[in-house]
Amino acid sequence: MNAALVIIAGIFLPLFPLSMVLNVVVARVRHPVARGILFLAWPQTGLALLYAAHVAVPSWVIAWALATSLLYAVRALALREVGLWAGFLATSAFALLWLPLTGDTPGLLTHLYALAFSTPFVLLALLAAGLEHRFGAAYTGLYGGLAQTLPRFSGVLVPVVLAAIGTPLFPAFFAMLAVVLTAAPAAAAALAAIWLVWTWAGTRLLQGLVTGPAEPGEARDLSLGSTWTYAAVLVALVIGGLYLSTQLAGGTA
Amino acid sequence: MTTSSVLVPDLTMAQLIVVLPVVPVVSALFIHLLSKRLGARAARVSVTATALTFAVALALLGWAIAGHGAQQIHVAGWSVLLFDPLSTLMATVVSGISLIVHVYSVRYMAEEAGYVRYFVLLDLMTAALLTMVAAGDLLTLLIAWHLIGVLLYFLLGHNTQSASSSRYASWTFLTYRFGDLPLVVAAGLLYHAYGTWSLPEIFAQLGQNPQATTLGGQPLADVVAALVALAAFARSAQFLLHTWLPYTMEGPTPVSALMHAGIVNAGGFLVNRMAPLFVHTGGVLHWLFVVGLVTAVVGSVLMLTQNDIKKSLGYSTMGQMGFMIMECGVGAFSLAIYHLIAHGVFKGTLFLSAGSVIGEARHDDRVPKEDLYTFVVERRPARRRAPWILMAGITLLAPAIILILAHWLVAEDIFQQQGAVVLLFFGWITGAQLIFATYRMRTESFWRLISLTVISLAVVVLGYAAISHAFDLFLYPDPAFRAQIYAAADISILRFDVLVAVVTAVIVLGWVLAYYSERNGSRAARTPGGLWMNFYALISREIYVTDLYAWLARAILSAATRLNARLRWA
Repeated sequence: MNAALVIIAGIFLPLFPLSMVLNVVVARVRHPVARGILFLAWPQTGLALLYAAHVAVPSWVIAWALATSLLYAVRALALREVGLWAGFLATSAFALLWLPLTGDTPGLLTHLYALAFSTPFVLLALLAAGLEHRFGAAYTGLYGGLAQTLPRFSGVLVPVVLAAIGTPLFPAFFAMLAVVLTAAPAAAAALAAIWLVWTWAGTRLLQGLVTGPAEPGEARDLSLGSTWTYAAVLVALVIGGLYLSTQLAGGTA
Repeated sequence: MTTSSVLVPDLTMAQLIVVLPVVPVVSALFIHLLSKRLGARAARVSVTATALTFAVALALLGWAIAGHGAQQIHVAGWSVLLFDPLSTLMATVVSGISLIVHVYSVRYMAEEAGYVRYFVLLDLMTAALLTMVAAGDLLTLLIAWHLIGVLLYFLLGHNTQSASSSRYASWTFLTYRFGDLPLVVAAGLLYHAYGTWSLPEIFAQLGQNPQATTLGGQPLADVVAALVALAAFARSAQFLLHTWLPYTMEGPTPVSALMHAGIVNAGGFLVNRMAPLFVHTGGVLHWLFVVGLVTAVVGSVLMLTQNDIKKSLGYSTMGQMGFMIMECGVGAFSLAIYHLIAHGVFKGTLFLSAGSVIGEARHDDRVPKEDLYTFVVERRPARRRAPWILMAGITLLAPAIILILAHWLVAEDIFQQQGAVVLLFFGWITGAQLIFATYRMRTESFWRLISLTVISLAVVVLGYAAISHAFDLFLYPDPAFRAQIYAAADISILRFDVLVAVVTAVIVLGWVLAYYSERNGSRAARTPGGLWMNFYALISREIYVTDLYAWLARAILSAATRLNARLRWA
């Protein structure tokens, strides 16, 4: 019964090959809001399922989760489509939620970690839709130099990608730190490798979109209102990160 | 910060340490939000804020020099900043260099796009560096340590149109991240073991139970110190983690100055901050010594073979960072701090003056038509050489006497420390090499040149010994703790003696070979041999380390592409 539940949960807290379900759904759901909701709800569903069933997570799942996370992080390196990239990196991040589940981390905090991992991908889904609207496709390396042609858009995209790859002071950084704390030293080393690959994937994405010579042609930048809205969400994320840091400092994690 | 430092809880001027990172952050926010209204005046706001920060840092340093004890200042709940000799000294250095870079940038960057963004980033970088040097808990240290890498990425990639500067900025960011992560794991291990993030508390508990173990029964102190050392290696461009440094010259020149004068030195700072951890380790300091030594040698060799002046400067910094880590490896922690400051000042000057030197040289070669120039540069060979036995005596004895006297003057017991002996030995080799090179110059006024060389050497050695001793007393006032650091770096006396004898023999053999090859140079064949050409090829390709990483990166990307295709992008 336990194993069956774990496998069902493996769809929502991705374990390869069950993780493919999430990415098939991400590829099918094209609407940015629906995709954002998907990113928010997916890991929460998995956690809710496991907590409701009071399942004791077996320790062998940890190795499986880490392998899944590393696999998707590495695969994200070679992706050029922003939406799929977000899906792969989200898969890599959500798989790590198995680690606090094996320890004595309070349930609410684990849900918050899931939220910390999800939120940047919601923003990224919206931004990817913005790119598709402007250029017909959200591809890295297809049209570079957004920093010159769309300075506001780039000003939002860069911190969102940084939030996704676990940069301080965004909540994913503290969530990742909490996950490292729950891990055994060998697992912590694997987590470090995964975190490094996230960074590589993130810089490759930014390199192909934001920097480089600008393409000729006109595209409308983000409106001032949208920019402020994104900025407000990012500030809220930082505040969330600081809240998680207090949990870490207090030894709750 | 020593384990025996008394942490006084009362509120004093030390609380001003909080102001250090806050002022640049406020400045960054202010000029970012009011960028349109401020325009070019944003730079003035930024410079004023940095000047204020520097003034506060100076005041705090004065307070620390006056003998006020270490204090922990709690900020916003959990974050702790430390007021102690190391944090105040480093804060003064960081804010001082940052102020120079700010002032220089006002005109230098005026024609560049993203002028305000540049100053925002520079202010944030100053804040992150100041937070790092004052961090009193692992969380704050980790946040600052990570942020420095992120901000450097944006500063190096300031010119967003340049694909190559963006590529090298990414490479730097990745290497920094590679170094950040061992620090995360080290912090995790310490938190698991002691249940606190506070550095003074961790050091106190570690001092009470230095034999604590971790995974597989390994000593906790050794494992954590090795991880900390790895973080320091990545930040300070040690061999195999150095490839980003020579390639990051495409960023703005003031950023290069800040990076070479300040940021890259963070490895030496980290080792000093963690000194109470390193004193309880077994062989980690020896590892630091070996890595530092290899880096110093490789960096210096690569520097000599570059035909690009900027890459040459990059490798020069790598060599200097090797020396700094090597000093930590022999237990001369405070000397490493002195070294990083001295290196920061001269390398910063080189970068910042490079442009004006080139500009002025186009109008005037600035070659002084005076006696000293004629004497040093336009050498007129002497008709006959001085007796080689006399010269060998001066070459070997003069530096030894100067070094021993200088160190005996500052501390009589210094010869009991192996680390000090290693540094003395190194100083002796360098001094002898200097005189040996002078001997080979064959100038007309030979004795004048030799006298000037020996006097210069004496001045440098005396200054170096006196200042480094003052640093030792300031940073580590507890003599027992100083002895502990040197003891942690010691090896068995037999092994030490054998090592010194072997190294001496190799170096003296090298001198003899150089002497004889010079004497018989005209008769010997000038064509380089195959071995020499292979060595040159190896060095000119930078030992293939960069090529190896590029190949590895391509292999991973290719594997990822194949995996994606096979798994149908799901």
